[in-house]
Amino acid sequence: MMWAEKYRPQAIIDMVGNEEARVSLIEWIDKWKKGTKPILLVGQPGIGKTTLAVLVAKQFGYDLISLNASDVRNKEQITHVLGPLLGSTTVLGKPLIFVDEVDGIHGRSDYGGVESLVKILKEPTVPIILAANDDSSTKMRSIKKATKTIKLRPIPPRLLRIYLGDILSKEGSKLVESSILKLVVESRGDIRSMLNTAQLRTTGFEPQTEKSFETLNVEDGVNAFFKAKSYDEAKLIMYSLSIDPREKINAFYSSIITSSLPKDEMLRMLKVLSEADIIYGKIRATQEWRLLRYLDSILLGLYKADSPVRYSRFNLSWPLLNRLMWDGKTIKKLAHVLAKKMHTSVSSFSTFYFPYMLLCMKNKTLDLNIEEHYDKVIQKEMELIK
Amino acid sequence: MRDQANLPMPISNVMWVEKYRPNKLSDLVNQKDVVGSLKQLFKNTSELPHLLFSGSAGVGKTTAALCITKEILGDVWKDYTLELNASDERGINMVRERVKKFSRYAGLDGRIPFKIIILDEADEMTSDAQTALRRIVEDTAKYCRFIFIANNISKIIAPIQSRCAVFKFTTISEQEVISYLKEICKKENVKFDEKGLETINSYAEGDLRHSINMLQATASLGTVNESNVKKTAGLTKTKDAGQVLKLALAGKITEARNKMIELIKVYGMSESDFLKYMNRESYKIKNVKLSEILEIIAKYDYRVIVGANPEIQLSALLAELGKIGK
Repeated sequence: MMWAEKYRPQAIIDMVGNEEARVSLIEWIDKWKKGTKPILLVGQPGIGKTTLAVLVAKQFGYDLISLNASDVRNKEQITHVLGPLLGSTTVLGKPLIFVDEVDGIHGRSDYGGVESLVKILKEPTVPIILAANDDSSTKMRSIKKATKTIKLRPIPPRLLRIYLGDILSKEGSKLVESSILKLVVESRGDIRSMLNTAQLRTTGFEPQTEKSFETLNVEDGVNAFFKAKSYDEAKLIMYSLSIDPREKINAFYSSIITSSLPKDEMLRMLKVLSEADIIYGKIRATQEWRLLRYLDSILLGLYKADSPVRYSRFNLSWPLLNRLMWDGKTIKKLAHVLAKKMHTSVSSFSTFYFPYMLLCMKNKTLDLNIEEHYDKVIQKEMELIK
Repeated sequence: MRDQANLPMPISNVMWVEKYRPNKLSDLVNQKDVVGSLKQLFKNTSELPHLLFSGSAGVGKTTAALCITKEILGDVWKDYTLELNASDERGINMVRERVKKFSRYAGLDGRIPFKIIILDEADEMTSDAQTALRRIVEDTAKYCRFIFIANNISKIIAPIQSRCAVFKFTTISEQEVISYLKEICKKENVKFDEKGLETINSYAEGDLRHSINMLQATASLGTVNESNVKKTAGLTKTKDAGQVLKLALAGKITEARNKMIELIKVYGMSESDFLKYMNRESYKIKNVKLSEILEIIAKYDYRVIVGANPEIQLSALLAELGKIGK
């Protein structure tokens, strides 16, 4: 289990740092009545915003309804999800709404989302806590106006050092003092990332070295994954390879497709990648970014001890890649021009026009006055015709 | 190479398929019902509804749409017509932007009753994009008419269908294809025999556009007879999709994938067309496991739609085909 989860505080008092913020929030919930301004927790990732909201709900007997930015991307969804809660509270117990990553609502094509959220914030019938990493953008202005801001600060190194030492001893793990200090400093007050990194350092994969998975590049990450001695090790590597999900899927794809695997194994892996690609496609289509957490577990299905797969950046042979980059580019450009002229799509043009056109040109019965810079590629394509 | 016995053919500077595209609705091959009702609608141009044309490839849908724009807009038709097909970026925002820009630019000047937007291969648009279109159609109805064109009408969402007058184009009979080809042959001074033209039609499967292209290519070899037609027929890239299928079934996954990637990334065949041709070709290869093959293709067709990277899905498709080929 990830330490960051295992040691997530169980009570507000067990949390580290930000005493004032904790007190403010407790006072707010204690005095809460209909119409009290909602809270906006602001602070960098990994310092306990979510934990704080969860624990406040728990200790004051509220049912936490947790949403993140992707759940509230448009008006319909907000009214759909929050509507029932704001109406008859009796049916649903005592809800407390927690909206994570509100600063993430912006920047996507989810117009109307902020407006309808702000409308709810202005007349709160249940306690609402919002969390954001950053409240400086102009887009946050309307949300800030409707809420009371509580700032959370990075956890000071002194406290992190004590906290980490405590967990290491509970786990029976040891790290040299220099490593511990490095972890503390590099975390920059992000307690979650510190715990994740610390856990990796103690699991034996390149222990005590300068490099942690947090800073692994794609190549090292993919290689480490397939070289992993155990499923658990592979899992840690997968979870800490924090790159763009599409880049992650593609890196595994190009590595796998270019390796010489037995057919069955290749099929098995491609099926896993197909599943991963589907979930990523669905996430993109629905903007349900919380589903990303399943992506890694799907990709973990790629693991098999002693796999020969190694990282490859490109998924094609050089000649084909070359053809694709040079000829392909020119042909597509030409096809685009001609397809427009002939009122058809590029795809149909390439399939039903282009080859016939080339034959006519080869036999010198057709001259479409095509611009000179296409000569070379046309010559080449004509030669390819049998 | 060209038969030496024949005189050299004059060099054409157009594709025949364009040269012989009818400019008037009444010249359309075998769409009498469609043409008849369309003409009826033209009696009062200002009340012309949006149109939806459906039918298989090469039966005259695009040509009919172009005829209409020419007949209604006259000489300035090019300035007041926006043509969008599957190779144009057709995400929701893109369509909205382009249509908006088009409908705004150069207001109506009395010479024309409205502008015309032709959305070819509209059934290739996602239902989300179609849904967005519905608003656009309504917002611009004052000064724009839409002509939607689709192979498969069931892939057009109901709200759009209900806003249009729907016309179903029938397939063109062998006789009509052949007589049209004959006419071209005569005008172009091309020697042909009956069997040659029949062979063209059977390869093109009733697609007149494809037939004419094949005719022109065959004519570049000499007489349009069976053997010359057979030489040219193999050129269409649908055959290459069939080759990918065969390679995959033979377990040659790398080769199959290379060929497929060439088709898609070098020649610009769309993934959905690739799957369509694969599907069509699978009936031709006489494999006992046909139903399994079709099932796998269908599965990955769906996955290409919902997934994010078609190449991953198509590679998995080939690997899976390789498995059943054994």
